[in-house]
Amino acid sequence: MRPRSLLALFLIPMGLIIAAVPQNTTRPYKLTAEELLAEANTRTQFVTPEVVADMIIKKDPSLRLIDVRSQDEFEKYSLPGAINIPYADLLSDEHTDILNQDVFMNVFYSNGTLTANEAWMLTRQLGYENNYVLEGGLNYWFDTILNPEKPSDSSSDEEFAKYDFRKSAGMALGGGNVIMPSQEQSAPSTKPAVKAASKKKKAAGGC
Amino acid sequence: MGPLAVNEIISENTNLLLAFIIGIGFGFVLEQSGFSSSRKLAGVFYGYDTVVLKVFFTAAITAMLGLLFFSLFGWIDLDLVYVNPTYLTSAIVGGIIMGVGFIMGGYCPGTSFCGASIGKIDAMVFVGGLFIGVIIFGAGYGIWEKMYMAKFLGFPKVSTALGLSDGIFALILIIVALGMFWVAEWAEKKFPKAEY
Amino acid sequence: MNETKVIKKTKYLNPYVGGVLLGLVLLAANFVAGRGLGASGAIKSAVVSAYTAVAPVTSEASGFVREFRESHQGNPLKTWLVFEMLGVIVGGFISGAIAGRLKLKVEHFPGITSRKRLILAFGGGILFGFGSQIGRGCTSGSALSGMAVLSLGGFITMMAIFGTAFAFAYLFRKNWI
Repeated sequence: MRPRSLLALFLIPMGLIIAAVPQNTTRPYKLTAEELLAEANTRTQFVTPEVVADMIIKKDPSLRLIDVRSQDEFEKYSLPGAINIPYADLLSDEHTDILNQDVFMNVFYSNGTLTANEAWMLTRQLGYENNYVLEGGLNYWFDTILNPEKPSDSSSDEEFAKYDFRKSAGMALGGGNVIMPSQEQSAPSTKPAVKAASKKKKAAGGC
Repeated sequence: MGPLAVNEIISENTNLLLAFIIGIGFGFVLEQSGFSSSRKLAGVFYGYDTVVLKVFFTAAITAMLGLLFFSLFGWIDLDLVYVNPTYLTSAIVGGIIMGVGFIMGGYCPGTSFCGASIGKIDAMVFVGGLFIGVIIFGAGYGIWEKMYMAKFLGFPKVSTALGLSDGIFALILIIVALGMFWVAEWAEKKFPKAEY
Repeated sequence: MNETKVIKKTKYLNPYVGGVLLGLVLLAANFVAGRGLGASGAIKSAVVSAYTAVAPVTSEASGFVREFRESHQGNPLKTWLVFEMLGVIVGGFISGAIAGRLKLKVEHFPGITSRKRLILAFGGGILFGFGSQIGRGCTSGSALSGMAVLSLGGFITMMAIFGTAFAFAYLFRKNWI
């Protein structure tokens, strides 16, 4: 048999099969429970209030704050420029475009960390990227940005620099005259290293 | 599962080691197919030897089918595979310049390295030319940067652009390629084959 | 080995078999690294490192270096394509050694001189090197690998390369047939 006929005999059936089957049926983009747990444990989903405050002041266009509290709470107080997606409505279709995208760095926040982190877990399990959680939530935000505690005289220069930043950021963002929300207390834990808003990872190309 | 390096299943250094091994396979197959000879390569443009056309399209189709089947079985996430960006102007202008270079020099970059590795002096000179060409591009980058960046269309797939599913496009390409192979074999009979 | 003189050059692989094998290599590259094969990219890496290390970076070239740096971190020579191209040289050499094709020579159509062939090869190399940068990849990186992942740009570049080469074939026919 001629090589060309052999090739045709091999390629045409393969082509027919691939043309007939539905595309991307088994795309493994959803995370398994184990993968999600492993990722949640790295705590890289958290961004510190300083980073968020800095982005708000600099009007960083890539930042998108998402308030996952109820609409009532959102109307009472919200961070500048935030949009409201109540936790209960998180999975409704109208919000998919906001949560599953690769343009903005979405930062979820609630009063504490809990609800926002749950929102992150849900979106992450769906395979969405670029969603983050404001570390410590609004409670910690008030403590650090709006009413920063002056470090003691023996503190390092670094501590003072941090304080100065917090104070100026707090002023820029209207500190002092807001009411503390009090539900859902959660103490801030150790600060994680902040990962820059990473776009979907791809292999570098270019011949 | 795949791509292994992107999903961090293998380390960066393992990836580079595998790059070297894949390169050996690449060079070996190119040489075995006769791509180390400029006269064999240029033959496709005069009809006396169409090995380039046959190897090129068979390879593209095999890899394409492989990727589609791997994706079907869930072995590779095609979203993570690099799809070349499409800059319409530069793709056409660059292609035209490369086309002239091809018929003039008789090699393309990959095959010239392959030819140089078995001692073809013309291939080594071609490789030297490649370096000069890239240096010229770098030195005058500001001059052609605008054209280089013009008409960016994102990372479109040809199947999407034509409104077909990947599979149906692959089938069409297979049929077109087999048709071309038939014409190529007819041409090889018609034009005298040189001995080299 | 004294036998090499007697043994005729081994024949080339059947092009369809070669094509399938090359396709499998390309598939392996995509499976392992999530990217296709390439050749001119390795040269680009080398030139970028030369620009950064040796030559005083002119304002024109700095854009070129910056464009490269955007997608590559670290040492420009420690990239996938550089290692792959080193492999190509080794692989080509092994194949040539097995087939008895290792020989230092200028291959050319008998109708032209070696000198003319070398000048044309050099000129063709310059054009190809330049064009591969404009077109973001050569026949392997843009056309072949691009086609395998169904990239529109890959198909356009492929058609432009082969179309132009066919169109200019008549002009250069004296050098080949």
